[in-house]
Amino acid sequence: MSGLVVASAGNVLVWMVWVVAAFSCLASGVAVVTFENPFYSALALIGNLASLAVMYLLLSAEFVAAAQVLVYAGAVVVMFLFVIAYVGPRRETPWSGGPGWQTICAVAAAGALLVEIVVAVGMQASGSLSHESEVGASFGTPAWIGRVFLVDHLLAFEITSVVLLIAAVGGVILGSHTKRAA
Amino acid sequence: MTGGAWLCLLAPLAGTILILLGGSWLPRVAAAWIATTSCFVAFGGAVWAFFSLRSQEGHHGEITTAWTWLQSGSFKVGLELLVDPLSAMMMLIVSGVGGLIVLYSIGYMDGDDEERRYFAYIAFFVFSMLLLVEGGNLLMLLVGWGLVGLSSYLLIGFWHERPSAVRAAKKAFVMNAFGDATMALAFFILITHTNSLSFGALDAHLSSTQANLVALGLLGGAVAKSAQIPLQTWLPDAMEGPTPVSALIHAATMVTAGVYLIARTHAIFEQARTIELIAAGTGALTLVVAGLIALVQTDIKRVIAYSTMSQIGYMFLGAGVGGYANGMFHLMTHAFFKALLFMGAGLAIHALAGEQDIRNMRGLGRVMPFTKWCFLAGALALVGVPPFAGFFSKDPIIASTLNIGWYGYIFYACGIAGAFLTGLYTFRLWFLVFPGEPSAFVREHYHDHHGREGAWTMLVPVGVLGVLATVGGWIQWPPLWTPITHWLAPVAPTLAVAEVSSTQEYVTSAVTVLVGVAGIALAWAVYSERRLAVPAAPFWRRLFENKFYFDWLYDRVFYTPSAWLATALRREFEEPVVLQTGPDLGDSTLATGSLVRRIQTGLLRTYVLFLAAGAAGVVLAFLIAK
Amino acid sequence: MLGPDTAWYLVVAAFLFGMGALGVLIRRNTLIVLLSLELMLNAGNLALIALSRHWHNGAGQIFALTVMAIAASEVCVGLGLVVALNRRELSLDVDTLSELRG
Repeated sequence: MSGLVVASAGNVLVWMVWVVAAFSCLASGVAVVTFENPFYSALALIGNLASLAVMYLLLSAEFVAAAQVLVYAGAVVVMFLFVIAYVGPRRETPWSGGPGWQTICAVAAAGALLVEIVVAVGMQASGSLSHESEVGASFGTPAWIGRVFLVDHLLAFEITSVVLLIAAVGGVILGSHTKRAA
Repeated sequence: MTGGAWLCLLAPLAGTILILLGGSWLPRVAAAWIATTSCFVAFGGAVWAFFSLRSQEGHHGEITTAWTWLQSGSFKVGLELLVDPLSAMMMLIVSGVGGLIVLYSIGYMDGDDEERRYFAYIAFFVFSMLLLVEGGNLLMLLVGWGLVGLSSYLLIGFWHERPSAVRAAKKAFVMNAFGDATMALAFFILITHTNSLSFGALDAHLSSTQANLVALGLLGGAVAKSAQIPLQTWLPDAMEGPTPVSALIHAATMVTAGVYLIARTHAIFEQARTIELIAAGTGALTLVVAGLIALVQTDIKRVIAYSTMSQIGYMFLGAGVGGYANGMFHLMTHAFFKALLFMGAGLAIHALAGEQDIRNMRGLGRVMPFTKWCFLAGALALVGVPPFAGFFSKDPIIASTLNIGWYGYIFYACGIAGAFLTGLYTFRLWFLVFPGEPSAFVREHYHDHHGREGAWTMLVPVGVLGVLATVGGWIQWPPLWTPITHWLAPVAPTLAVAEVSSTQEYVTSAVTVLVGVAGIALAWAVYSERRLAVPAAPFWRRLFENKFYFDWLYDRVFYTPSAWLATALRREFEEPVVLQTGPDLGDSTLATGSLVRRIQTGLLRTYVLFLAAGAAGVVLAFLIAK
Repeated sequence: MLGPDTAWYLVVAAFLFGMGALGVLIRRNTLIVLLSLELMLNAGNLALIALSRHWHNGAGQIFALTVMAIAASEVCVGLGLVVALNRRELSLDVDTLSELRG
């Protein structure tokens, strides 16, 4: 892992933004998982999504960042909040009692996964992470995305639209009133 | 010649198969006549084979092989039939007398619920016996040997609802199995040392131990099959079967197979002369003991059964000292008169609706004259009164013992004593049953068959055998004319020591006849005229009635320990170990299933946990691989 | 590239993924589980974007957009399930919904 490069002003700025974004990302992630009230968890998710959008910007993915805020934070989380409100207050006490065997095993499994990924990354995935490429200015712009989506990955585009349709239909069916037995 | 042999062998088998295939669609009468016809066709085949053999030069006979049955390296055994003087003689006897007896059964078994099964079995028996005598090598003989044992078991236990019949059948089979085992051991020795089971292998020179062992094994089989001491206890019990079965299997044919065996394998016995003399001694002992036991029997069939045992003793005696032709001749005449006696007894039993106790049968002759005269003919033939058949066949046997040594004199004495006993017990039977005024029992229970003493199918064979019992002996009268001895000479020549001078023959005949007549006279005095009372002699009476305690001994020595062992094994081993295996397997499978079932918690979280753990494992594997 | 290397981004993504997994495995409220699922999806997105930048391959960003669409669909259906459960007055506790128990 190459350490800090030339401490130019631009670099320092980017680093600071990154640290803030990363920190808030992780903190909100912890918050999502640990809050008792699902409402607060959903709000924490918004924070998480926002910090992720910032990190996308740092990675020259402007369109994706915008889509993230619009779609995820704007639509998905709003849906969540609607349903949470509809379902009403549910008290759950997830942290009461000692950790059951499932909790311990869960921590172990997740921890193992985490360690493995870090190790893999740390070993630079045997050379895959060694060379960074230079990207042009148009990398990540909406025009560029549009062209790539509709020319190189047209199939993915079409299939995604079909999946969305199916989900919409499914949602309607699930949400419709069932015929009650007399 | 061989065509006759095949016809003779396969006709009864075809009869059995036809009856089996016909099942319950076949009318009972049809099954009966199929069996009878097949036996007479067999007789026709036997006659054909006989005449073809007679026209052959030297009468050496012929072997016909169907195919190689067994092959192991250089050891080969074929499915072979042999037609030679000895087998031709046996074929005629078995199919002829057998045909008559099957005909008799039509009348005797009429109305029985399982008539078809009976005729299938009896045709199968005739086939098995013919296989035994026509077998061209020792293995075919053994196959026939085993099959007649099976048929005997099936037929003794024919009325299987009777526990006594079932027990008797089992007893017969087990005792015969002992003999089969000793024969098989003898065959193993033969195969090991001569690499062959053909009859020629018997001529091979074996060491004296081997020859003795082989002969002993063969003798064991013969003794078991022919109900000689010490394996004789099954024969009286075998009377549980229908009377025609007793006539055919336990008088005329199967029980004489032992004698045939000794004649057939005489080469080995002559190499093991001691064993052969033991055979003779066994015969001598049996003939006396059986005669004594017959004196106190009250069941008509059992008297005749012990008589059979005694007469086979004579045959063993004759064959054992080396006079094979004498033994075979007595076999032939015995088939005639013993089957006659059994069938006559069957007529009486039938007429009295199943009664077999002779103490109830006095005066039967008044209402059943035909039976009376035929029975008398058979009885006189049995005792050996000239001109009836037994005279010609029995006396040469007794005479032939004179030249073999000091023990020959003992055999001679046994033979003479046996003749006396034969006269006594036979005519005890006749005088108790036939002459005089009909007893109250007879008057009450006698019923005739449409005005006659029995169905014609029963009367005709009895009549035919009555004639044969009278004239059948005239074919040979040593020393004057001996066609049978000459006929058998190429195959089973009489040993020199068994040849006796004419003087010895005549003297023996005279003594035997006198002694036999004395027995008849004594029986007349005691049982008919009541001039003499039956002596009390309680010890002897008990000894004879308990059959010399053989059954008692065998029960203690063999049956009780085996039964104890079987029960113990079942209790200690079979039930806890073997029978538990099934349920234990089932239980353990169920237990494993319950254990595995706990994975299915129904909780979503558990399943996802498995997912996550699996994913971690896979990634780990990839990492390690890299 | 200015700022941290791709590796740093990937580590952040790994942490996020771990947190999301823990949430799915430990929490019993269905809604929280769905939210944690979103967390995991976003972690994947971050990794995709980072590597797309690293190798100058547009497919990563495209795939990230597709993932977002799929996530939206999945949330739609999942929340529909929650609504249906609520309408039948069933518990929303994941441990109680265990009819598949063997």
